[in-house]
Amino acid sequence: MEIIVLVKEVLDPDLPPSKFSVDTKNNRVIPPEGIPPVISPYDAVAIEAALRIKEEAGGRITVVSLGNPSAEAVVRKALAMGADAGIVVSDPSFDLEDSYLAAHILTQTIRKIGKYDLILCGRQAVDWDRGVTGPIMAEYLAVPVATLARAIKVSDRSVRVERVLADGHETLEMDLPAIITVSNEFGQARIPSAWGVIKAVKEEIPVWSAKDIGAEDAQNKDNPGEGRLRRLYIPSYERKCEFLTGERPEELAAALVKKIYSRETASP
Amino acid sequence: MTEKFDAIVVGGGPAGCASACVMAKSGLNVLLFERGQYAGAKNMWGGAFFGPQLKELFPNFREEAPVERFVTRHTFSFLTKKGSTTLDFKPAFSGPPSDNGFIVMRAKFDKWLAKKVEQAGAIVVTSMLVDDLLLDGGRVTGVRIGKEEFSSDAVILAEGVNGILAQKAGLCSGVSADNMKQGVKEVIALPKQTIEDRFNVNGSEGAAMEFVGSCTRGVPGGGFLYTNKESLSVGIVVELGALVKNRLKASDLLEEFKEYPDVARLIRGGKTVEYSAHLIPTGGLKMMPKLFSAGVLVAGDAAALVLGTGLILEGANFAMASGVAAAETVITAKKKNDFSETALRDYERLLREGFVLRDMHTFKETPRLLKNTRIYDLYPEVVFEVLENILENDGKPRTKAYKIAGKVIKTRVGFARLLSDLWAMRKMT
Repeated sequence: MEIIVLVKEVLDPDLPPSKFSVDTKNNRVIPPEGIPPVISPYDAVAIEAALRIKEEAGGRITVVSLGNPSAEAVVRKALAMGADAGIVVSDPSFDLEDSYLAAHILTQTIRKIGKYDLILCGRQAVDWDRGVTGPIMAEYLAVPVATLARAIKVSDRSVRVERVLADGHETLEMDLPAIITVSNEFGQARIPSAWGVIKAVKEEIPVWSAKDIGAEDAQNKDNPGEGRLRRLYIPSYERKCEFLTGERPEELAAALVKKIYSRETASP
Repeated sequence: MTEKFDAIVVGGGPAGCASACVMAKSGLNVLLFERGQYAGAKNMWGGAFFGPQLKELFPNFREEAPVERFVTRHTFSFLTKKGSTTLDFKPAFSGPPSDNGFIVMRAKFDKWLAKKVEQAGAIVVTSMLVDDLLLDGGRVTGVRIGKEEFSSDAVILAEGVNGILAQKAGLCSGVSADNMKQGVKEVIALPKQTIEDRFNVNGSEGAAMEFVGSCTRGVPGGGFLYTNKESLSVGIVVELGALVKNRLKASDLLEEFKEYPDVARLIRGGKTVEYSAHLIPTGGLKMMPKLFSAGVLVAGDAAALVLGTGLILEGANFAMASGVAAAETVITAKKKNDFSETALRDYERLLREGFVLRDMHTFKETPRLLKNTRIYDLYPEVVFEVLENILENDGKPRTKAYKIAGKVIKTRVGFARLLSDLWAMRKMT
C-alpha cells in the first residue's frame, strides 16, 4: 500500500491573540516572532490514519508539504511519528493562497512521485479552513474522493470510509487509488517517540521546486480561480451595555422590545 | 535502536546549549533533550545579561543573535512611598554599543542558541521531558523517557532551577524557599519611537533600570525595567521564603510596582502582551549541590550557579560558562575514556580557574547579607529624607548637608546600626 499524506504548516492555533497581527497593506498575516508554526492539526490526524493503515495492511508512507522551505519542520514531525519519506514542495513563484493552484501543484507533485494507492489529507487546514484542496485534486487526478472520514478500512483494491455527517455518518466504498480527507473524529494523532524524533532528524528531506515537478506555468495556468482576497483584517467587536429601568416586569419587557426594534441597536 | 551517545544534555537553556555546542564542535556525538515545544518556550529571565561567555562561543553573535537592545544606560533607584532617588549611569560611547549588557527575549534567543547547537552537529529533541537517569552501580549511564532508554558516556544536567534529576542522582537534596527568589515579569508593548523618546536611547541602545525599596514591601528583592525593541520588560524579583512569611504574592507586588510614578510614567499607554514567572536559585555557594559524580555533571541554574551581588544578579553568563566547563571536562574524559567521579573532578577545577566559582566565593556572604530588610525599607527612605531636607527651602537659614544627614541618620537608623550594616555590606558588593 503506497500512501501519500499531504500536510500543511500553519500558525500555531494556540497562539495568544496578542501575538496575532495582520499586515493590512499587503493582506498578509505577520508571522509571530519566536513562535514556530505547527502541523495543521487535522493533517496530523491524517498521518495517524496513514500509520494505522500501514500497521494493518503494510506499505509505505510519503509525506508531502507544499509551502515555505520552513515546512521541513512539519515533514520531520511526520517522519518522527513514523512516516517513511518526506518531500517539501516550495518555490518563490507559487501563490499559496489559491486552492486551485495549490491543488494543481500538489497534483504535479503526486504525478512525479508516480505510484500511489491512497492520498490522505486533513479535512481542512486550520488557517483558511477551506477544505477544498483534496476534492479539487481528485478532480485533477480523476480518482474518487471521500471527505470528513472518521474511519477507514482498506481491503485489497478498495477502501471503506465512514464519513461524518451533520446528523450521523454514512459509509462509502471506493476503488483505489482514492483521496480521503480525514476528520478529527478519526482519533488522536500519536506523539512521536524520542527515538522517532532522533531518526527523523537524520533523514534527508528533498525540496522540489516548480521546475522539478513541471509546474512552472502554475501561475498562468488556465484555472477557474476561486476569488481574490480583497481585505484581511482582525475584526473588532464593540459591546455596549445598557440597563433598562422600569417599575413592573411588563414595563421592562415593553422597554426591551422597543429597544430591540429601535434604530439604536446595531443590525446583526 | 541501540545507538550510544557520547553525551546527553538535559535542558535547552544557556547552560545546556553552550555545553552541547562545545562538545558537538569537538566531534562528540551529542543528544540534547528539551521539555519545551522549542528551546526557550519555558525559559524566562528579566531580560538583560552579560555577554563575555557568549562572545567567546559565538564571536559574531552581535550580528547574528536576536539581541533586542544593547545596554547603554543603567539606572539604580531607591523607591519610597514619598518619592525616589536615582543614580543614572550613561557612559558616552563613541564606537559601537558596549559588549557589557544585552537585552534579549528568551523565546527568540534560546531558539537561536538551539539552532547553533544543531549547526554544530548535535541532535536537539524538543517536547521531551526526561523522566529518570539510568544507573549502573552508582554510575549514571544515560536517561529514560517513558519506556525509551538512551545510553551515553556522560549526562550533563542543565535542567534549570529545582532540577529533579540532580536530586534523583543524589547530587542535591532539594531546595528551600529561603534560598530562592521568585521573578515575575510582564512584557508591555510600546512603539519603538515611544521607547526611544521615553528612555533617551537611540537605535539599538537600551536602558536597564533596577529598583530597590518600598516596592517589595520589605521583602528582600527589587524591581527591574528593561527596554526591548518594541516592548518593555517590567518585573520584580523577591525572596520566596519572605513572601510566604509576610503572606504576600509576587503578582500583587508587581501590580503595585507598576503604579509607582517612576514606573507608571514609563509604561503608560502600553499593552501587556506576556506574563511570566520563574524561580531563581539565589542561595549562592551554600545551596550549591555536588557538581558531579560518576557519569554526570550539573550546570547552570540546576547547580545554583547564580551570582547575586546586590547590585547585579547574574545567571545566564554563569550558566554558559559552567556549560562550557562541563563540556570540556567530558571532552577530556572521552579522550581517556574515563568517566569516573575522579576523572570528572576536572569540572570543579575549570570552574575554579574561571570566574564562576571564584565569583561565587568572593560573594559567598552576599545572600545572607541581602536578607537585611533595612536595605529595602529603611535606607531608601533615609537617602530620600536627607536629599529632601537639603533641597528644601523653607525660608529659614540653611543647615550644612552633613548635619542634615547626621540628624536623619540619628533619628531614623542610629549610628551604631548604620556602621554595623556598612561594615557587613563591605563584604557584600
